[in-house]
Amino acid sequence: MSPRLFLHVLSVETRKLMSYRVEFWLNTAVGFLAQFGAIYFLWKAMFAESEHSIIGGYSFDEMLLYYVSAILLTKLVRGRERESALSQEIYEGSYTRYIIYPTSFFRYKYAQHLGALAPASVQVMVFGAAAAVAIGPRTLETISMTSVAMTMVIVAIANLLHFVMKAPVEGVAFWADNVWSLDVMLRFIIGILGGAMLPLDLYPTWAQELLVWLPFQYITYFPVRVLVGEVGGIDFAIGVAIALFWTAVFAGVVRIVWKRGDLQYTGVGI
Amino acid sequence: MPPIVHVRGLSKRFTVHKKAPGLRGSVRALFVRDKLVKDAVRGVSFEVGEGEIVGLVGANGAGKTTIVKMLAGIIHPTSGQARVLGHDPWKRHNDFRRQIALIMGQKAQLWWDLPAADCFLVLKEIYRIPADRYRRTLDYLADVLNIGDELNVQIRRLSLGERMKMELIAALLHTPKVVYLDEPTIGLDLSAQRAIRGFILEYRERHAPAMLLTSHYMEDIERLCERILIMREGEIVYDGRLDQVVRKHAGYKVLTIHLQEQVQGVCETPELAAVGEVQECNEELIRLHVPRREAATAAAHLLASYPVADLTLEEPEIGDIIERIMAAQKGAPA
Repeated sequence: MSPRLFLHVLSVETRKLMSYRVEFWLNTAVGFLAQFGAIYFLWKAMFAESEHSIIGGYSFDEMLLYYVSAILLTKLVRGRERESALSQEIYEGSYTRYIIYPTSFFRYKYAQHLGALAPASVQVMVFGAAAAVAIGPRTLETISMTSVAMTMVIVAIANLLHFVMKAPVEGVAFWADNVWSLDVMLRFIIGILGGAMLPLDLYPTWAQELLVWLPFQYITYFPVRVLVGEVGGIDFAIGVAIALFWTAVFAGVVRIVWKRGDLQYTGVGI
Repeated sequence: MPPIVHVRGLSKRFTVHKKAPGLRGSVRALFVRDKLVKDAVRGVSFEVGEGEIVGLVGANGAGKTTIVKMLAGIIHPTSGQARVLGHDPWKRHNDFRRQIALIMGQKAQLWWDLPAADCFLVLKEIYRIPADRYRRTLDYLADVLNIGDELNVQIRRLSLGERMKMELIAALLHTPKVVYLDEPTIGLDLSAQRAIRGFILEYRERHAPAMLLTSHYMEDIERLCERILIMREGEIVYDGRLDQVVRKHAGYKVLTIHLQEQVQGVCETPELAAVGEVQECNEELIRLHVPRREAATAAAHLLASYPVADLTLEEPEIGDIIERIMAAQKGAPA
């Protein structure tokens, strides 16, 4: 796939999503406020109940910062999953067009996936700024230009990692009609082990040590820690290396699943 | 000139899982799944040359679309060989994919949320069509198909006929050398059908691609194809010129007589059954299938027996013959 085509697909996808104005603002606003509201009241109650000002090393404001960062960065990592639902393409038979067209299915879908990030980036900036005001500027003091730059690097890798991590599960659609439950399961696992549901600092030490070597925390927890300036140069390099290693592993799995799945594809609908 | 599409002993076997109806069947299917093996295509062989439009004709489930899918590289065959433009289709080499097109009447290939113009620009990049050639081809295709402002409308908002025209443009922008047309006029009104047929013929005239057409509309076949492949239960039962199918498979002619006056009980007279197979009969009109060699004798006999106002002796409709061949049971004479 030529870089020109990649950029063209990316731009078309961006324009397409930007054209749905109501969804662009309303859905995102409601989604973000619902998540933020639930977390705010839950942790407010927990802090009040525990009568501690620090839980798992986090103050209440730091906890909010963690979750706001996690919600927004996860948005950039996951993108609009609907737009790149590979299983849907197989199930509906529209995968056929990518067989006919002389282009790489995965590169095409990844370009679409990245195209969907442009609107997400605007939303992240808007809601990030609003949340910063709500939480209070003092909590944001640890975020620097360097940490933001490092975050952009790890988020880019996490985005690709998440894409290739999901692809083999989506590829099950070659054999099964519905992979929705598998998808939910994967999302749940990534949420629990990746730090989107709970900061990993709250887990037992042995679990934290194990999770360092698994791919999940590089989706949410690690990028958040990088953003708030808790990860130094060497730790960052190690984290990036582990995330890249898992990206390569999953890319290999995708290749195997797709190669076998292709033999099963029947091109339904025609 | 060597054929562009070359198929030898191509077969495809599908294995599907059966599930008994109802809750009981659903629960059972959780533990035990019965398999159903279906030979969709059985050892077919044929060739298609440059500029040729070959019609693939057959009842539902005869294997037409499965052949198209294999030759487009969408599915892998169970056995046999196929070479299209010198490539194994299912290896999906980019050089192969740049030279073929698949138009599916029942399945939109374009992106529903995008206007056609944007879809075409994506295809321009996919096929790496130079800007000036792209503009020229698009202008030509849009002009022939009478497309104007619809180019800027989202695909999902277009009528079926307009969408089909867009699908045709999309499929032919890169001027493919092999075109697979799977039910290109399905669901279209008569004028849209005519427009699509006219366009296909004009395109063939201009670019001489090898074309394989499947359609349930006999008019598509009659207007577009000189040669047809008739399929029955996965096998090709006829491969030849469309006009020769009559000679080969219709041993009868259609004899129609209009009577000068109403003749009471004409349909019950034994002379009719003696000369041929009665297809339609009332007090004013009789239509029979008479053996080809005895057509003249039968006509003379009826002229002598009834007050005939008008008599015609015609070749049977090609569509009727094909339907007879398709409907015939396997093993029975067509």
